[in-house]
Parts: sequence; structure tokens; C-alpha cells
Amino acid sequence: MALELNKLTDQVEAMGRALAQRQQEAEARIAEARRRLRDHGRVTAELLDRIAVARARDAWRRGATPLAGRLDLRLMPVHPPRPATLIAADGSQVYPDRHGLAPYFLVNTGAIILRQGSGEAPSVSSTPEIFFDTSDLYDEAGQMRDVEYVNAQRDRREIETLADLAEQERLRSDPQRPIITVTDGPLRPWTSQTDEREARRQIQHFGHQLRRLRAARAVPVGYVDRPDSGYVLRILELIGLPDEQITRAGLREGPFRYLTDRALFADLLPGQRTALFALEEEGANPAEDAGDGEDRIVFCYLNVAREAGEDRANIVRLELPAWAGQDEEALDCVHQAIYEDCRLIGYPYVLARAHELAVVGAAERADLERMVGQFMLRHGLLPHLSTKADSKRMI
Amino acid sequence: MITSPDGIESAGGVVGRVLRASTTRFTVGCQQPMAAAGSTLPAFGALVRAENADGSVTYGLVSNITVEDDPFVRQLVAAGVENEEYIADQRQRRQVPVVVDVLVVGWGNGPEIHHRLPPHPPGTLDRIYPCGPAEAVRFTGRHDWLRFVLAAADLPADALAVAALRGAAQARPPDQRQGYLISAGRELARLLAHDLTRLDGILQQIRNL
Repeated sequence: MALELNKLTDQVEAMGRALAQRQQEAEARIAEARRRLRDHGRVTAELLDRIAVARARDAWRRGATPLAGRLDLRLMPVHPPRPATLIAADGSQVYPDRHGLAPYFLVNTGAIILRQGSGEAPSVSSTPEIFFDTSDLYDEAGQMRDVEYVNAQRDRREIETLADLAEQERLRSDPQRPIITVTDGPLRPWTSQTDEREARRQIQHFGHQLRRLRAARAVPVGYVDRPDSGYVLRILELIGLPDEQITRAGLREGPFRYLTDRALFADLLPGQRTALFALEEEGANPAEDAGDGEDRIVFCYLNVAREAGEDRANIVRLELPAWAGQDEEALDCVHQAIYEDCRLIGYPYVLARAHELAVVGAAERADLERMVGQFMLRHGLLPHLSTKADSKRMI
Repeated sequence: MITSPDGIESAGGVVGRVLRASTTRFTVGCQQPMAAAGSTLPAFGALVRAENADGSVTYGLVSNITVEDDPFVRQLVAAGVENEEYIADQRQRRQVPVVVDVLVVGWGNGPEIHHRLPPHPPGTLDRIYPCGPAEAVRFTGRHDWLRFVLAAADLPADALAVAALRGAAQARPPDQRQGYLISAGRELARLLAHDLTRLDGILQQIRNL
């Protein structure tokens, strides 16, 4: 056994103590944040001004702008429920392994179309794709592609799959039937932090797919489970803050740092959502180049729990494009459809299934390696692992 | 029909892979939808074969099939799943874990077939295939394999023998089936001469095939 647990006893004990203390302290600060939310819930021109100033003084601030007249709204759908078609896609990958038999990487995209209220079995698919071309495997400097690049390929295929399926589904379904696409995590894909040109390409691609979805009258939703964001807390920190204290250093030492909006809104009733906010993050407007602010990403928090009580709350963040958020009926439909799909497992069923369809397990990966080895042999190549990989197999 | 590399045809694709094995029994894990068209799940009593790394083949009869639950299914049941779409998905689309227990009844190497226990068990993760009619006819040409079935005290051995004989008869042309069952019945009478009640029970069921 490499990890000697007995040597960690004291450290784990200290960690438990620290966590309990941190929790107690966090509860007091959340109570203060809730007081501010209650007492200063109205969105004033002064507050909007402060948000703009804070954004200007700290461009990297992960903030949001309120889109409603109040910060503290708690909303239930007002429109009657309508059965929707939920389409989810999730990707899984095998990263390039320079110790493996051959240089390649794989992306497998799982997808499901669930037509609520139809009684039909959902349509499911998985699409594996193997990348072995030199241009796929190496960057312009001749370096083997990194994890970030493979993840970007996976994200591209997820959103492309959703757009393809939404277009097909729109053609086969009742024109009035709502179509909602769901991805796991933020709607906007993670973009390259090191290659600005690649990041721009990713955002442009994403913007194009969003426009395809909009043309198919499908609402794209990013479902963020257990969000760690503090967008609304960042707004609350600005309340009562003198202008001279709105500095980059001051903002980063805000009274609610390390807390989450999830804790702030843990008192939402089951099935309630908050008001809408617009993300102010870098790249949160994927259609910047087209000058179309309607593709800006907006979000709300939703309690997908079935039972009341803060200890049972399951607060998630739903992200969608502004054009969908502006349509109250579409927003209610998203709210109802996602809440309904979370009924069974506290997480969207369609996302759980898309993940299951995509995931490449250890046995399948071993099968793939074996298949690669067989085809290499067929073409006169002698497949062998690096000595390092070979030695690891013995452990 | 699917033909394996050694030229033996199968009734379908891979049943699954070996989870654990001994020279007398092995257990196969399958991942497939329960109600999908083209399912390769074998029936109780079906003859299957494991292809071993040394080129030999281990033959066995499916003696038990268990549909395992998993955390997903358990959660759905606990939450009171009612919507037809979710139920249909689980039954028709989702790959639920199915465990198939197999009683070893012989082995083969190339054209040879032996109705005795193999020298080695199948290996972990070896693929298991259902046997096609020609292979089933070849394996059941003699009746010695019935000994293993009747001796399996912890299994529903009589039901297994009947199911396996039904499969062996159906693998033959219609005009040969009755003759095959009569011949198998004689062998059973010889093997169970000391237990006429049991013999009678099995023969009654064979008569109704």
C-alpha cells in the first residue's frame, strides 16, 4: 500500500476541525448576505453604476448584472406546463498517450432525445471519433496536443450534436413543441487560456451553433450542478461600498469571498428560481463579433429538490442565451421541464443518460488499444508500449 | 449468423465476457438492453462457448440469468418512476448489467469435442458466444454431457437438462428431432436407473417438447 493512512490521522483530524469552524463562520456571513439581499433587494441605478465601475476596475472579476428590478425574486412558473422535448449530449475522451501503442486520441459523444409526455422510448446514440492525423495530433510548434485541445474538440462535438439533433427534431415534431437542449456545466465552453486565436475560434464556433439552435427554435441550457459561483454575492458586496473602496484589491477582499450563491439561495422553496442575471465574464457574449447582444449568457438559480428545507435544497445554476431568457414563457418552460427531469435522481435524467452513453470505461479502452494493435500488425507495424507504460501494467 | 476466426458460426454476437471462472462453472457479464431487437442474451439452457487464449473452446449451458440492479435503477425505483418514457428507456435503450451463469459441459480443440471437463478454465474477460445450430448439433451428437447436468446438485438440473435437450432438438432438422429426443431419453434412463421418480419427471417434460 502506497498511502499510509495511519500517518494522516492527525492531519485529517485537523482538517475536520477546520471545516467545522469554517462552516460556522460561513453561516454567519451568509446570514449577513441574506440581510443585505432582503434590505437592498431593489436594483437601483446607483447599484448598476457600481457594478459597471467594479467591472471597469477589475476586468477579471467574475460578476453579473441583474436583469430584473429586484435581486431577491423567488419565482414559480406562471405559464401552464407544456411537455417539452429534451435533448442532451455529453462527451468523453481518451487523451493522447505518448507511452501508448500509437499516437491518437478519441472523442465519444453520447446523446439522448427524450420527448416528455409521449410515452415513447427516447432516441439514444453514441458517436465515437478517432483522431490520428498529424494536424490533429500536433500543434504548429510540433508539440503533441494537450488536454485542453482534446477537451475543446469534445465540447465542439457536444454542441454540434445538439444543434444537429435539434434541427432534425424540429422537422419531425409539432412546430409548437418546445425543444430544450441540455449540456452539463456552463453553457459557454471552456476556452484556451494560452492560445488567444484558438479561444476566439472556439467562441465563434460556439456562437454559430447557438444561432443554429435558435433558428431551430430550440433553447440551449447549461446545467451547472452544485455551482461554486458567487455572482450575486459579488453584487451584494458592492451595496454600501464607498466609491473609493471599489478597487481591484478591495474587490478581491470582499466580505463574502469563499461563499457561494448556492448557500445564499439555499432558502429557495423546492421548484423556485431566482431572478435572471447576465454573466459579465470574459467571453460571456459569444456573438460579440456579430454585435448581437441577444446571445449573451444569462442565468438563474433553481432549487431542483422535491422536499423543503435548507438542508435538502439542491440549488443549481441554469444558463441560457439572453434571447431565451427574455421570453417569459420559454423560461417557464425550461424551468418546468428541467425540474421535472430532475424528479427521479435530483439531476437531469437526460444528462445522466448522455454521460452513460458517452463514457469510455477501462475495459472499452483496453479493447480499443487491442484493436489498434491488431490493425497495426495487419499493416506490418509492431505495436509496443513504452517500457514505462509496460512497467505500470504490472503494478 | 456470425463466423468466428476459426470458422465456427454463432447464432449472434458476443454474449458477454467472463467475470470469473473455474473448470466446472463460469460467470459472464453482459451489457445490453433487456428488450432490444437483436439482443444476444442467451436463453436458459442455451449452449455457449468461451474462446480461450490457447485456441481451445470451453462449452457450457446457461444455468441461470440474473438481471442485476445498479445505482441508477435503484434510484429510479426509490423515487417511484412512473413516466413511461423513463421506463421505456431503461427497458429498451439502456444497457443493464446482466449476469449469466454457465455450467461447463465440455471443451473442444479444432475439430475435436470432449464431453469432459477442460484442462483450464476460461480466462477473465474472455468473450462468450452463443453456439449456432451446426455447432450445437456437433456438440450434442453424443449424450455424455448430460452427466454433468444431472450431477449439478445445486442447480435446477432437471429443468436445465430439459431446456438443453429442447435446444439441441431444435438445432436439428424437423425430421430428426423426435429420433434425437428418443435417443437422449434412453441415455437418461440409463443414467437415472436408480431414481425412477426423477427420470419420469424429466421424460414427462421431454415428451411435451
